[in-house]
This record gives sequence, C-alpha cells and structure tokens, in this order.
Amino acid sequence: MKTYFKENQVTAKKEFEIIKITDDVRSVVEDSKISNGIVYVISEHTTTGITVNENLECVERDILAQMDRLFPDDYPYNHNHYLPSYGTIGGNAPGHLKSLVTGNHCVYPVVDGEIKLGHAADMYFVEYDGIKNRKYMVYVLGE
Amino acid sequence: MVIDTHIRPAMFKEIYHDKKTFEKRCNEMNYHLMSPADLSLLKKQLGLAEIEKAVLLPEDNSYSSGTATITNDDIKLLVDLDPELFVGFASVDPRNTDAHEKLSDALSQNEFSGLYINTARLHMSPMDERLVELYDICKIHHKPIIFHSGFSFENYALSKYAEPFLFEEVLTSFPGLNICFAHMGWPWTKETEALLIKYPNAYASTAMMYTDGPYQIYKQELTEGLGEHWYHNIMDKVMFGSGSPRIRPVRSKRGIESLHLPPEVEQKIFHDNAVRFLGLEES
Repeated sequence: MKTYFKENQVTAKKEFEIIKITDDVRSVVEDSKISNGIVYVISEHTTTGITVNENLECVERDILAQMDRLFPDDYPYNHNHYLPSYGTIGGNAPGHLKSLVTGNHCVYPVVDGEIKLGHAADMYFVEYDGIKNRKYMVYVLGE
Repeated sequence: MVIDTHIRPAMFKEIYHDKKTFEKRCNEMNYHLMSPADLSLLKKQLGLAEIEKAVLLPEDNSYSSGTATITNDDIKLLVDLDPELFVGFASVDPRNTDAHEKLSDALSQNEFSGLYINTARLHMSPMDERLVELYDICKIHHKPIIFHSGFSFENYALSKYAEPFLFEEVLTSFPGLNICFAHMGWPWTKETEALLIKYPNAYASTAMMYTDGPYQIYKQELTEGLGEHWYHNIMDKVMFGSGSPRIRPVRSKRGIESLHLPPEVEQKIFHDNAVRFLGLEES
C-alpha cells in the first residue's frame, strides 16, 4: 500500500468563511498517483471545520448563520476569560463550539483515480476564527 | 473608521530578530503559545475592525533587562512599512544615562508621535525626577504620553507604581501635555474616571483585557462599575484601545459596540478623541 501526504494552506478573507476546497483535494489525489484507496482531509486547528455540503451560496450562508444562532458571539462562555497559558483572553469560544459541530475531517473513497463524491457534494474548509493562516492535511492511502 | 491607541507589536514577524530575543520578549510581556505573524495577515485583522490608524507601543526596560523588549527601531521599521496606518510611540528607560538624549533625538526628528512609559515595569514613581525630565522633552515637542496604568500582566511589573492617582501630579504639573491612562487604570477604574472628569489633559484607553472577554468586562467595568450613563462626563476622554495581542482588535471593538452607546459617543471613542489626543487634526 502506498501513502501520500500533503499540507495545504488556506487563509480566509473574512472572520467567518466557508471555503470550497474540492479542487485542491482532487489535485493532491492526482499528484499521489494512487488510483484506488481512500483520502482523508483533516483540519489542523480547533476553531475551524472540514465539512461536505452542496455548493450553493444560499446553503453556505445558512450554515454560517445557523452556527451563529447556535453559538452567539456575546454569550458568557467559560472560555471568555484570561488564559495564563497564552497571556490572552479566550475570545474564540464560538469558534471552538462551531468546530465541534462541523467536525474536523472528511473521508472519501478514491476509485480509478477519482474521489467518489456525490454529484451535489463539495468539500469545505470552514473558518470560524479568522483571519489566520490555516492548514489542512490531505492523506491518501491505496494502490 | 477606528483608531486603535493600544497595540503591542510583539508578534509582528517583521520585528522578529531571532528565537532568543523573541522568547525574552514573550517572557517579559507574558505572551505564550503564540507565533509571529506576517504584517499582511495582521493588517487583515486590523481591517476587520475597520482600524485606519494603529498606535504601536514599544517597551524599554533595558537598564534592568539588558535590551529593550520592543525597541524604538522596531517601531520605526513598522511605521516606515505603512506610515498611513501606523503611529509610532517611543520608549526610553529613564534609568539609563542617555535616556534624555535618546528621547530628544526621537521626538525632534518627528519619527515618533509620543512617549510610552510603564512605571510598573520601571518600578518608579511617576514624579521621579528622571521621568519628569522626559515629560519636559515631550512638552517641548508637543508630544503626548501614554502611561501604562493599573494592573499589569507583564512579568517584573508592580502595579503599586501605576495606580492612577499617582499620576495626578503629572497632570497638574504638565497641564499642556496630553496624558493617557492605558487600560482605564484597571482595577482602579473609578480613580481614572475621576481624573478624566477633573483634568482637561487626561485621557484613557479601553485596553482592559484582564479577567473576562470584552462583552463582559466593558459591561462590568463601565456600565455597571461607573453607572449606566458612565460616558456622560468622560465621553470626550475615552479612546478605543484593543490591547492586542491580548485580544484581537475586532473582538475588543465588538465589546464596546455591545454597550449600545449613542452613535455620537461611539464616534468619539473610536475616533475623534484619539485624533485630538494625538494631535492629528493639526497635521
């Protein structure tokens, strides 16, 4: 079995943003020369998400809006206090909780060199705590 | 448009010199688990808060620590990279024999817009003769002073040297000098309020990132601590300061916005008061 690993960088333009990464992941799979196997896409961060959904602007907007309703910015979270380990105020509790809901990875089969995504499905990196330079890992295993 | 009067550029990659110096800086300033970031990224973060000008504050305690934590050269380098965005303040350690000359040079060449002093780190009374000499230089050059005031999370800092009322004599001795109490003098917020009411040259900044997040602390300290209409007497004296990197500017700004102040008061806090304090209307 072969393996192929790559880190991709992504920087949102906004504080909260849903960013399509399907084509970038496809490129990594192509570079891997692995025809049949599995691909993992995993965020390296705890205030971001990796998710799969339909590439429609209205859906993307609903995802972010619903997350805001679930985890409002001004709620008195436990995390909103001074963190001695950082020397900063923990201001990103909503980002951590949104990340929890979205999850940090997705997994898909690779068949004949193609990712077996559903016809309406796209992979997304979701920024909940921007603007920061972020990384996600793409790990391909197979033959 | 917003002016942020309190940014410590400790994490700016452009002034990352080497690992040892960076670690010393972080240890002294009590910043941890953070990495230097490119100016381009930091400018995007400032953009989220609609910040049009950002006051960069250095830190010179070189007499006791060997080298300045953030040097005047560091500040100048950053200002030169974006003079429209950045406003640089100078810092000198008054315990050094060349402090007088160094500050005179910095201010006379018009490279710096004011002086930053942290008496908590210096372990000096605000009316120490060596400091008064520096105030005289600021007076000559018509440059404001930002004092650290109140409690400090920085290592080696003693808050007893930075209680707001200790600065009252500076306000009376230098009535023509604009003086800012950073952090609203927390936890002596009421002392700061009193000084702001009484002295025309007294200002304060909202960089109060201490116990809680911005939604909580501004409500606790301002609306509840000073009263619902806290802004009535001091609306011309309070300036927005984020306290970055202890909090990201956009979050600090949202905390102020969550107070639902009248729009004209917000305008003063976010912009107009800093313009007057910094003397920007004259330039």
